[in-house]
This record gives sequence, C-alpha cells and structure tokens, in this order.
Amino acid sequence: MFGHLFIKECKQTAKSMIYWLIILILLIFFNSQLGSMEFAEKPEPGQEDYGMVAGGDEQATMEATLGYLVSEYRSGSFTTYPIGFYKTVKPSQKELKRIHEIVTETTGLSTDQEIDDAMTAAQGDSQIVYGSSPVKPKDGLTFERFCALMEETDDMLGGGSNYSKESLKTNAKTPMTYEQALQQYNDLTEKDHFTGAYARLFSDYMGIMLGILPVFLAATRGMRDRRSRMQALIASRKASSAVIIFSRYFSMIVMLMLPVLLISCIPLSECIKAAGGGIRLDYLAFVKYSVGWLMPTAMISTAVGMVLTELTDTALGVLVQLIWWFLSVFSSMSAMHGGIYGWDLVPRHNTPFNYEGFHAGFSQLAANRALYAGISILLAAVTVWIYSLKRKGRLDIRGKLFGNRKREHKA
Amino acid sequence: MSAEIKIEHLNQYYGKKQALKEVDLTIQQGMFGLLGRNGAGKTTLMKVLATLLPKSDGRITVCGIPVEDSARIRKMTGYLPQDFSMYPNMSVYEAMDYLGVLSGLSTAERRKRIPYLLEKVNLQNDRKTKVKALSGGMKRRLGIAQAILHNPRILIVDEPTAGLDPEERVRFRNLLCEIAEERIVILSTHIVGDIEATCEQIAVLNNGEILYQGTVSGLIEMADGKVYTAQISRHELPQLKERYIVTSMLTLGNNVMIRFIAEKKPFASAESCDAGVEDAYMYLMNGEGSEA
Repeated sequence: MFGHLFIKECKQTAKSMIYWLIILILLIFFNSQLGSMEFAEKPEPGQEDYGMVAGGDEQATMEATLGYLVSEYRSGSFTTYPIGFYKTVKPSQKELKRIHEIVTETTGLSTDQEIDDAMTAAQGDSQIVYGSSPVKPKDGLTFERFCALMEETDDMLGGGSNYSKESLKTNAKTPMTYEQALQQYNDLTEKDHFTGAYARLFSDYMGIMLGILPVFLAATRGMRDRRSRMQALIASRKASSAVIIFSRYFSMIVMLMLPVLLISCIPLSECIKAAGGGIRLDYLAFVKYSVGWLMPTAMISTAVGMVLTELTDTALGVLVQLIWWFLSVFSSMSAMHGGIYGWDLVPRHNTPFNYEGFHAGFSQLAANRALYAGISILLAAVTVWIYSLKRKGRLDIRGKLFGNRKREHKA
Repeated sequence: MSAEIKIEHLNQYYGKKQALKEVDLTIQQGMFGLLGRNGAGKTTLMKVLATLLPKSDGRITVCGIPVEDSARIRKMTGYLPQDFSMYPNMSVYEAMDYLGVLSGLSTAERRKRIPYLLEKVNLQNDRKTKVKALSGGMKRRLGIAQAILHNPRILIVDEPTAGLDPEERVRFRNLLCEIAEERIVILSTHIVGDIEATCEQIAVLNNGEILYQGTVSGLIEMADGKVYTAQISRHELPQLKERYIVTSMLTLGNNVMIRFIAEKKPFASAESCDAGVEDAYMYLMNGEGSEA
C-alpha cells in the first residue's frame, strides 16, 4: 500500500501549483547566484593579487578583533553564537562598564568621541564597511594580555562571540601568498576533485532556498484535505496513519530533491567543461552533497510545515519556519566562508575554496545534518500521532482555536 | 460473525452537552433508516459508528467487533459523510483510484472495481471529468461509489439526498436499495420520504434519544385512526393549526384542504384517512399528539 500511495502522492505534488512555483524560484535563484559560474584557475607566480585568507599574525589578529570590539561596544549590541545559533546580547550597565575598561586598556580609547573618531579613521573614505574595520591596539599591549581580556569579554557575553578563542583565529584577513594560493588550488583539484568544491558552493546557495520553500509545499498539502472536504473520506479508510503521513512526507522530499538534482547537472556539466583534462573529477559529488547537505534542510523544513499544519489546520508552520529560516540565514552570514557550521539550519560555505576549513568542520557539519534529519523524522512521527488522534476525533485544535467544533459535529 | 450492529447504553458528550442519551439499537442486514430533526444526534451516531469520533460511554459492536478496534472496523465499513468533496483537480477515476489505494485494494482490484462501480452509479462517461466540474447529484453518486469501493459489509450514509433534485433523489434511493441487498446500510436523514421509499427497519432520534425503533409499518400503526382530512375556510386555518398537528395542506380558492392528526374525530366534516410515514413521524415527534 505504501508504494502505491507514495506514487500517488508524488503525482499529486507534481500537479500542484505551489510545487511548480518552488521549482521556478529555485531556477531563478540558481540562475541569479550561480548562472555565470567562474571557475578557479591555477595561480601563476608574480600575479598582482591572490585573494585573502582568514587568519594572520598576532598584530593583525588584535587589530581585526579590536575593530569588532569597539564597533559592537558603540552599538551596545554584541553578536554571539553560543550553541551555534545566532543571538544578540545586550550587556548590563555593569558589564558595559567593564567592556569599556577593556576597550580603554586594549586600544587607549577612553571616550565615545575618541572611539567614533578611531572608527571613522579606520573606515577611511569607504561608505560601506563589511564586518568591521581594524583598530590599532594600545602600545605595549601584549598578545597574552589581549587574549586574556578577550576571553573575559567572551565569558561576559555568554560565549560564542567574536572574542572567543576560535574566532580570534579567523578574525583577521591577510593577503594570500603564491604558495598559499597554489596550495589552495591543489586542494581544489586533488582533495576536492574539483567538482566537490563547486558542489559545496551549490549546496551553500540552494540550502538557503531549501530552508524555507518546502514548508509551503507541506502546509498546502496538509491543508488540502480540509479545504477539499476530504478529511472524513480519508480518515475512514483502512490505511494506517503512518502509511498516509509517511507516504506524503517522503513523496514531498523526493519531489523537492528531484529538481535540485536536475539543476545540479548544470554546474556539473560546467565543471566538466572547465576542468579539462588532467583533473580526476568526482562525477557524483553533486549527488553526494545534495543528499548529505541539502536533503536534511528540505526534510526539516517539510517536517515543521507538516507537524504544525496537522496540529492546527492553519499555516502556522510557514510563519514558524520563516522566522527560524530568517534567523538562521542572518546568523550564519558571519560564517559564510565555511568551516564553522555550528547547528545552523542553513550551513554556509560560500566559496569553492577553504577545503581545510571544510575538512576541519566536517564532523560538526555531519552532526548538524544528522541531527536535522533525525529531528525531521521525529517530527514526521509526531505528525502521525497527531493525525491518528484527529482521525479518531480525539484532537481538534482548529475547532478550539476558531470555535467551530459545534458546527463540525452538528448532528 | 453476526451481521449486525449492536449499540448498548451509548452516551455521547461534547463538553457538558449530551448529544446522545442511553441509545440502544440493534441494526440487522438491509436498509436501516435513522430519522430525526437537524441536531437530533444522527451525525454524531454515524461518526461514532465510522470510528471518527470516540464514544463517551456505552458499548458498540459491529459484526461482533468492538468499535474501539478502529482498524478492523474501517476495513469493513464504507462511509459517506453529509458534507464531503474530493480533491477538485482529480478526475473521477483518479479520485476513486486514490481512495482505493487508501482502502488497501490492489491495482488489479481497483481496475476491476472502479469501472464497475462508476457504471453502477451512472458515471461511466464521466471518468475523466474533474471532480470540481461535477454537479451536486453526480458528486453524491461518486460519494456512494467510493463508499462501497472496498465492498464493505457496512455502509453508513449521512443525509445523502440533501440538496438533490427530485429525479436525482429517486435515482439515489434506488441505488441504495440495490446496495443494501448484501450488506447493512444505515441511512441517516431528516427527509421522511427517503425513509418511506427505502427502509423497512427504522429508528427515530430526537434530542439524542431514541423515540422509536421498529418497522415502518409499526410506526404508521401508531398513527392509525388518528389522521383526518377536511376542507375548511382559510380564516379557520390558524385556529386549527393551534389545536392540531397539520401535516399537509392544499389551497383551493378561499378554502384549504388540510391533513391533520387528532386523537378522535374533531368535527363532523373531518374524514378519517390512512396514515402515512410522515403523519406517524409528526405524531411521534409531537409527543404522540399534542392536544389531539
């Protein structure tokens, strides 16, 4: 029964307007972000610029970190990722006073005016500043003392701030040398087999859309029975609640992943063309990344939509997912370069490079993806339970919410 | 396994409101009519039997199986709710096929049963028509076809003729009678004509209580000798309506030909006539004759 129902649900999905709208959005988004993909070329000695690399010497680390510190201190708001999720921390007056003392000790700036002047000077003529501009440390500040003060600041903010030990390693950005650029290119072609790097980039972009679009499909599917006044006809059938819900769930996942896999053929073919000969390509890289990286995002987004729609018979799931997605995408912007995946719904790796970062953060990424896949299956199981209660007339949240219980049960 | 539905001391509550009160019913094979006003508790009883509502109190067995065993009950029950439709973008055949899968029918069984049933409900030429394009009557016929798709032993139909035109209604009644030859069919309705045309065994439900259970002829017998006709002037009508239960009237110029219920002959010009189901139902619902 499951197989037949699964196929029927796939066909229903294929006939729904929302599904084709999702595909259209995916195509437009792909085209706008990855439509004209530029592929890395082997660096040549004597090039003017090889790009930037995260990390630097002690001086650069201090300058970049202090740039964050004075900027966040002036705004009175600090960005942190205590357990991998975005959080804005507004310290108490007492904590702000202590942070002010740290700013003064590390930079020599004691008044707000001095801080503003230093920030303006650091920004130069630029009207748009990404992240933060570096601020020079106070003469005589040792790196050890700097680290101790940053650790204290991080503790005050609850951890996961720009002043944590891990962040200090990546706050500074320094120009890349030829050797570093060559190493990076070799990683791309040898360790990543070229396609792996671009599959990650593809996953980075498509993950943004798959974090939100599936919830619309799930919500409309969940409400279709009630809107079509078909609930009683289905509920009175022999099929178990598990078969009904899981066939719907898996059909939606398959139908969502199908266009993703098809779209991934475009960058794959471009990779094959760009790589030419001499590079051993991983032809299945896009499939592996789509399934391992993107599918859990689609799964959780779908499951949130399903469980909340089934529970309330409203589009509440869309609202919840929209908020979660927005916070996740916003919070992961500082980790766009990859390597820091935390527990973000939408892990970012917005570069074909940084294989080292990916390699170092792989176990965290794997745990992240496994967690979301697991939670989504759990949510689908909860949906089965809710649906089962509703089938037996033991649960009617919508009736309670909208007071139509009497009408629905009128005899 | 006994082919009967046994309901004992069934009570049903919605919060503090009691929808069914100490309902005792035994339903045998064939057509069984459940008659009552809107709000009498018919749909509640149908939903409990279809396992879509948990009973609050009492005992129900369907062919020997307790109603709590919803999985087994659903296998043997077909249900046509009062207010239903199907996915509007599906064709008639697709909707039947989808529900057939949910009923656990194999591909071969569905290929055999669906055309047969569509022919039986006279929708064989509309198998490709979208559900949203069907008329009310066609939708009802499709509804009955889906309810018997898995050849259930029990068929529960809730107010199936509401909103149908007279021709569709007659066709639908005949269809139900055909189906009832080999199974238990419970027809819930507030339309006396539906019961009169189709059922031998009936129950009358009022405010959640069973007022009558037995044969249609038994119900009619209750009103025997209490139904009269008379031709009266129009200005006498309001006064007569206050004193007697008027079951029908026909205007004839300044006069009115009325049919009413009275315990004994009320006036000389009144003539006794044979009672019908509607007369008996009205008699029963009005406390077995008010002043009459």
